[in-house]
Amino acid sequence: MNSTPALLNRILLTVLGLILLAAGILLVLLATVPPVASWWHAWSSGAWGGVNQLFDSTRFPGRPVSWLWIVVALALLALMGLMVAWIAQQGKGRSNLLAAEYDPGETPGDVLIGGGVAEQALKQALEGRPDLAGATVTTYDVKGSPALKVRLLPRQGVAPHLLAAEVSGLLDALESVVGKEIPVLIHIGAGARTRFGRAERVR
Amino acid sequence: MSSSVDNRGADEATRRSAGPDMRRITYRETHSSRAAVSVAAAILVLVLAAYGVLESGVHAVGQPAWLIEPQAAAQRIVDLPAGISPLLLAVIGAVLAMLGLIFLLNGVLPGKRARHLLAGARGEQLPAVVVDDEVIASSLARRARLAANVTPEQVMVVVSQRQVLVNVRPTSGIPVDQARVLDAVQDELDRMLLEPSPVPRVNVTASGVIGA
Repeated sequence: MNSTPALLNRILLTVLGLILLAAGILLVLLATVPPVASWWHAWSSGAWGGVNQLFDSTRFPGRPVSWLWIVVALALLALMGLMVAWIAQQGKGRSNLLAAEYDPGETPGDVLIGGGVAEQALKQALEGRPDLAGATVTTYDVKGSPALKVRLLPRQGVAPHLLAAEVSGLLDALESVVGKEIPVLIHIGAGARTRFGRAERVR
Repeated sequence: MSSSVDNRGADEATRRSAGPDMRRITYRETHSSRAAVSVAAAILVLVLAAYGVLESGVHAVGQPAWLIEPQAAAQRIVDLPAGISPLLLAVIGAVLAMLGLIFLLNGVLPGKRARHLLAGARGEQLPAVVVDDEVIASSLARRARLAANVTPEQVMVVVSQRQVLVNVRPTSGIPVDQARVLDAVQDELDRMLLEPSPVPRVNVTASGVIGA
């Protein structure tokens, strides 16, 4: 429901996993298979010679240090920035706005309805129910449009389809109050409170 | 009053499906997110890159290296099998490969959660509903318990993606009608309209419970 970049996560994890896996397998082969060791010697000393030459040819005039080191440092800094950005993308998407529309009536201005309206109203409506051990309502921002997530924790033995139908009626009432259709996801879940709480005996 | 309230009844059928990509939302709810593993991977790369920045920066300004000179490190990597005990090298390689495998599998595997979609009955238009398998199991257990006329402790239900297994231990001396339990469970499943739809199986154990 939140805007965690699912595909990007999978791609980056796959790439990183492949790199680490290849490096690990190479190390194991180096330690155990002698022909791999001789091949690695031939290949890596050639590659390292090329890199060395590159460093030699990019020296500051009059100093023994290559300016390529600064480039390497900057590139690694950029990589760090990208990683921080990647972390910052995880789990975003909570929002505070349920509806924002231009009001065509006589009063000038826009109408904004906060997410708290839906959250408080639904919480209030679900509070006294004996078949629920808990309920939370959160507003999300799904690609620019608001959406509601209703998480219900029913007691043991409650039929999920009946519960969903009843909550769906509440949501219809909420939509007619707000005057706008809101995409809703109902998640009927189980948690420690439902597992160890008393079962619902009477329906 | 906006017009969407007035013709609410007319477009009732289409309006639920017209939301912003409900399929994407339900996919996200039924598959586990890779956020935690991604953060771990990012922190790993971040730490390595920070160390790299430190060493190359120190090298660029001509100061002595903090842990190891980058060129010396590269030279040691080049003549690797020499200079380190083969056992240690193999262990390091195995750990790296294991870490890589964890990340790779996290990236490739489907990562389905133990949840089902609830399609809702034909007449009513339910919003997107996702139900934990545990909730389905406890609901089915209640139905099976009533049909078999046993106590809650004598029924155990296991719900998986495509199968529902109902284990009933009858009270000693009172037989349990397997077909009746199966009918009750099937009826409850038909009302739920799960997606993907699981097939129920009832298993009545041969040994009974005394004094239940």
